[in-house]
Amino acid sequence: MITDILFSALVMTTPLILAALGGLIHRSSGIVNVGLDGMMLLGALVAIIIASGGNWAVALVGAGFAGGVTGWLMSLGITRLRANEIIVGLGLNIAIAGAIRFYLKAAYGSSGNLMLPDVSRLPKIDLPLPGALGAVFSGHSILTWIAWALVPLTAWVLSRTALGLRLRACGTSAASAAAIGLHPKRMREGAGFVAGALSGLAGAYLSIGVVGLFNEGITGGRGFIALAAFYFGANRPWATAACALLFGIFDAVQIRLQGRGFPAELIQTLPYIMVCVVLLLLGLAARRRAQGKAASHG
Amino acid sequence: MSEINGADAAGGPRLGGVGLSKSFGPLKANDRIDFAARRGTIHAIVGGNGAGKSTLMKILQGLQAPDAGTVLVNGAPVVFRSPNDAIRAGIGMVHQEFTLIPGLTLLENLILGDEPRRAFGAIDRRVAGARAAELADLAGVRIDWTLMEEEAPVHMRQAVEILRLIYRGADVLILDEPTAVLAPPQIRELLALMANLRDQGNTILFISHKLDEVLAVADEVTVLRTGRVVVSRPAAGLDKAELARLMTGEPVTAPTAKPATPGAAVLELDGLGTGGEGAVALEDFSLVLHAGEIVGIAGVAGNGQDQIVGLVSGLMPTLRGRLRLAGQDITQHSTRERRALGLAYLSPDRKQEGLCLEASIAENLIASHQRKPRFGKAGFLNPIAIAGYADERVAAFDIKCASPQQPVGALSGGNQQKVAMARELYDSPRVLLACQPTRGVDIKGIAAIHQEILAFRDAGGAVLLISEELEELVQLSDRIVTIYGGRRTGEFPRGAAAMERIGRTMLGEVAA
Repeated sequence: MITDILFSALVMTTPLILAALGGLIHRSSGIVNVGLDGMMLLGALVAIIIASGGNWAVALVGAGFAGGVTGWLMSLGITRLRANEIIVGLGLNIAIAGAIRFYLKAAYGSSGNLMLPDVSRLPKIDLPLPGALGAVFSGHSILTWIAWALVPLTAWVLSRTALGLRLRACGTSAASAAAIGLHPKRMREGAGFVAGALSGLAGAYLSIGVVGLFNEGITGGRGFIALAAFYFGANRPWATAACALLFGIFDAVQIRLQGRGFPAELIQTLPYIMVCVVLLLLGLAARRRAQGKAASHG
Repeated sequence: MSEINGADAAGGPRLGGVGLSKSFGPLKANDRIDFAARRGTIHAIVGGNGAGKSTLMKILQGLQAPDAGTVLVNGAPVVFRSPNDAIRAGIGMVHQEFTLIPGLTLLENLILGDEPRRAFGAIDRRVAGARAAELADLAGVRIDWTLMEEEAPVHMRQAVEILRLIYRGADVLILDEPTAVLAPPQIRELLALMANLRDQGNTILFISHKLDEVLAVADEVTVLRTGRVVVSRPAAGLDKAELARLMTGEPVTAPTAKPATPGAAVLELDGLGTGGEGAVALEDFSLVLHAGEIVGIAGVAGNGQDQIVGLVSGLMPTLRGRLRLAGQDITQHSTRERRALGLAYLSPDRKQEGLCLEASIAENLIASHQRKPRFGKAGFLNPIAIAGYADERVAAFDIKCASPQQPVGALSGGNQQKVAMARELYDSPRVLLACQPTRGVDIKGIAAIHQEILAFRDAGGAVLLISEELEELVQLSDRIVTIYGGRRTGEFPRGAAAMERIGRTMLGEVAA
């Protein structure tokens, strides 16, 4: 029971970590990416189309590339055309959802769902671990492990490399960074590609990793949960991953609770509500700490 | 301050200009400026507001092209199209607004853009740290390179701003009013740092209107007035009065204060105390301020002045003691209630707290008066009444601006401070809490602000003056109260206050 929940918690966490790390990188460069959900959706569709009768690895590359180009174009709109990042992000989500619905109708004559034959699913990695450990950690897809490996990698790149330093500098103070010869706009566009690519992979994980089919509601708003994760993670990769894991656990619990007499629609909202509650409590605690500090100073 | 002189080792001209001119419409900001800063010297550029210092610096930085004339680097003419051109020629500038980036450590700020690297683009922290330590040694300053930018004290950030230019290969440093943000001990440190860097062969262009500092550290001085060079000569042999005369074109007379005629007590501080970790705690501080007098608080920065300001203004909650304004207990009053009772507050931090730089002069002038019937009814502002009032205040306080609709941020420091004064003194307040009223203000602006403060007193206002400029305190105050470690250490009436004596009580000696 517990091991089952933890296993599916890791499953549910994977796309969140991918998208949230993308958002974190984009935000470090100075853009809040509200369009992660749309890029996930696009990645999910591209992945399943390529994987049908094809190869999962090519599908991943395709999904990542499609998301990346979208993220790059979105960033261009913000850096070069000075569009508002929130409006562009929200608009992108709506536009992608609409375009996909239209495409499904036009190309497959289906409304909202797409089941394709011979989908090459992401392979699962079986680990020779005993008992409970095996039940939790064995049988995950390669993307899950990539996602977790990206957490320390992102942390290292951001804090220890010249690229990471420049990215953070451009994100905090574009004018100062430009004054010493860096290129904040290019930095943001590059980070936008990475954010889009990781979101695309997150979408691919959902479609060819978890369910094996595409549905226009497949992301379930996870792009927005990823947004919450990197926001509350305050640009720290491990804290962001922890936020993602928190949601993953509640999502897994929710799945377990379904079919036990609770109304399914209500239960499905549980992880979202719990994330709001936990983040609110964390916020209140942080505020109390800050006030305590101020009071002792006063 | 001792004379630090290194002109003997100076070399040929490193950075200069001939016939540099730049006009903005009818205004000749720079008019045929000639000067030459020689290698290995500190060359001061002094002048009041509007003398053309900033325009000249922009030209030397490649931010503005001169209408006529040439910039000379190592004696040869050059054309700078951008600050990058200037940096390539070894010329870097530290602006009054720092450009270090928050969220990065001081070390990261130092190496940003030119990081020593190992494999995979990783930063070589050992090399970076060694280079940083070497630079700090060279300059003779102590820097904790691991501090985040926002946690580092202002003088440390400024040192990093300067060292960063050297790290990036500059040997000509243009420092724009670098001491404006510093407290006196830090100013001495900065001047020593400048002298050290000069002795290493760097050339420093020191833009300032603080004559003591110029005379203490500069080897050569170029004085600008209304866009022209008045004189360019060695600093040796110049004295302060002469320099002031050159800057203003006329002898500057200190404002004359009539003897005070104190009236009734208006502001009573009774046993005020603060807790607090880190900062100095104010202990049992009492003071009675009467109508028609100026009381100055003298102390080395960080000895409780900030706490007095915080408690009186209402920005800090009072933990112990009482505060009375015009007989009313205001200990628990909000800042708004205090203002309604006649407390005016000239903030030491003009840019953040005193003014809204993005807002217009007119808007700043009515801020906190906006609910008064003169400016509107039922929550709607009356733009005509506001414009009329703004014109009136701009004229009365001699605020130099194109129009009251200009953003305050476009004004010089002195004129910004006049806007703040004009707002605070509107509607006859009872008490003016004036903190560092002339910080970052030029010599003419200082005289005007001092005159306003004295006029306010003569009209029956009470002034609590907090300043790090001892001369200002002595000139204006009818009484000076000294403070050390959060306690009162002495009180001196006007005239009896020998600087020397006040200085000693500021350092903890208790006056008999």
